[in-house]
Amino acid sequence: MSAIDVFEPFHRGLPPFKKYAKQLLGRRAFISEFAKSELRRQNFGSPLGQVWLVLNPLLLSAVYFLLIIIISGHTNSGRYAHLTAGLFAFYLITNSITAGAKSVTAGGRLILNSAFPRIMLPIAASVVALFKFMPTLAVLFLLHLILGLPFTAALLWAIPLVLIFYIFALACAILFSCINVYFRDIQNLLPYLTRTLLYLSPVLYESSALTEKLNFLRVINPLYPMLDSWSRVMVKGELPFASDILQATIWSFALLVISSYLFLSREREFAVRI
Amino acid sequence: MSSLSASNLIPHNRGEVAVSIQNLNVVYKTTLEKRPTLKNRLMLFSAGKKQTRIVNAVENLNLEISYGSVLGVVGANGAGKSTLMRTISGILPPTKGRIEVHGSVSTLLALGVGFSQEMTGRDNVILGGLAAGLSRVEINAKFDEIVDFAELREVIDAPMRTYSSGMYARLAFAVAVTVEPDILIIDEALSTGDAHFKVKSLNRVKELRGHNRALILVSHALATIEEVCNEVIWLHKGALIQKGDPTTVVTAYKKFLEVGSSPMIDEDV
Repeated sequence: MSAIDVFEPFHRGLPPFKKYAKQLLGRRAFISEFAKSELRRQNFGSPLGQVWLVLNPLLLSAVYFLLIIIISGHTNSGRYAHLTAGLFAFYLITNSITAGAKSVTAGGRLILNSAFPRIMLPIAASVVALFKFMPTLAVLFLLHLILGLPFTAALLWAIPLVLIFYIFALACAILFSCINVYFRDIQNLLPYLTRTLLYLSPVLYESSALTEKLNFLRVINPLYPMLDSWSRVMVKGELPFASDILQATIWSFALLVISSYLFLSREREFAVRI
Repeated sequence: MSSLSASNLIPHNRGEVAVSIQNLNVVYKTTLEKRPTLKNRLMLFSAGKKQTRIVNAVENLNLEISYGSVLGVVGANGAGKSTLMRTISGILPPTKGRIEVHGSVSTLLALGVGFSQEMTGRDNVILGGLAAGLSRVEINAKFDEIVDFAELREVIDAPMRTYSSGMYARLAFAVAVTVEPDILIIDEALSTGDAHFKVKSLNRVKELRGHNRALILVSHALATIEEVCNEVIWLHKGALIQKGDPTTVVTAYKKFLEVGSSPMIDEDV
């Protein structure tokens, strides 16, 4: 006897959760294959492509460092490590936002022709961003050695921090992929949004440089506690503040729940909106 | 890329129910703009203009499709044919009613060719298959057959943006039929490709019919509908106007169009 698929109206606009989750899990291979194909397409499969992957943020951090030297006159190596580590992590988020935003509209033909959990597309886009981020960890390790930064047990906090960064990057990819279906010009606004986020986050400056007046940034910017903790762990070898970890975790999971709900409640319409 | 889902290779008896559609209604909201933007939305909102419209694409449809048969679907543009095919395929959920699909479905819908133009034909075949739920092993087992059927071995590793529309159609058709689906849905895709491939694809459709698979064929090529189908439905503005043997329904549809047996409508695939 063949399997029977039953299609009925969505309850409260949402697909049946168990069936959806099962279908999503059954298509794990798509996500990894998509990431590999996308990296190949962007030439990151070649050795030169992989070099560019780390060279790009490295050069950017060098440019910003030059700017900082000129503006503030500080030349300490810790400052350069802070800048580089922060930019690498920040790139994970922005790459995920940029690729995620166009993931659904770019997969339009597949959406029009095939039944599958649409959320696979922004997930795959965020995995590509994660794949691009991983080699930068090796560069940070080398930088650690070269600059003589402390190796402490606190460095192990890098693992949960990367996980928190990824959850946040995934949530952003899901959110912007859905918004982009309805407002295609949102992609034009993304450079301004990401640039603003960069300036509001402790990347180009250290959190200790923040005046009391600007302390509200810690609360309103989800990236603030993440990036501050990242710098404490990766550059200073210190333990992150528990409040920062808690805040970052809540931000990431809350955004993931909200963006997933928004996506799932809207994905029924994607086939007629693309 | 055309969609495919895993074939279970279970033999079916002629007349066994493949698809059962009960009181189906499909309503959706769409924008009036082709490329919706925030800027336009704000401008239309400030001008107090309407921004979306409600489409009643399918209304109260009841239908059964059996194994061993080919159902033809005819109707003018906007009749709801493509929406119906997408609903049967699970792409677009019903607004009301219920659809039961007894078996694996492979779809070849008019617009659905290619996942990404920048990726190679090989990557598109693999990604299309994985998205539809096939395993990598199943795709690998069928890959050579797909490429040979499409006659695209020399260009399978080239980006799909370099393919002609005929090459696109050949690859999409090859994927859809090579996986031996229980139910195959073809929406206007038989009319693409060169004469040689049209004959080849039509023969494949007949072969699948002979193997007691269920086929749904949406086409404006009425001669093909009459030649291949056992039963035809005529849709108009989402409603079922007529259902019956191909000659009767096609004749009535031609009369409705008031063009009789014009060469344009009789154009074969």
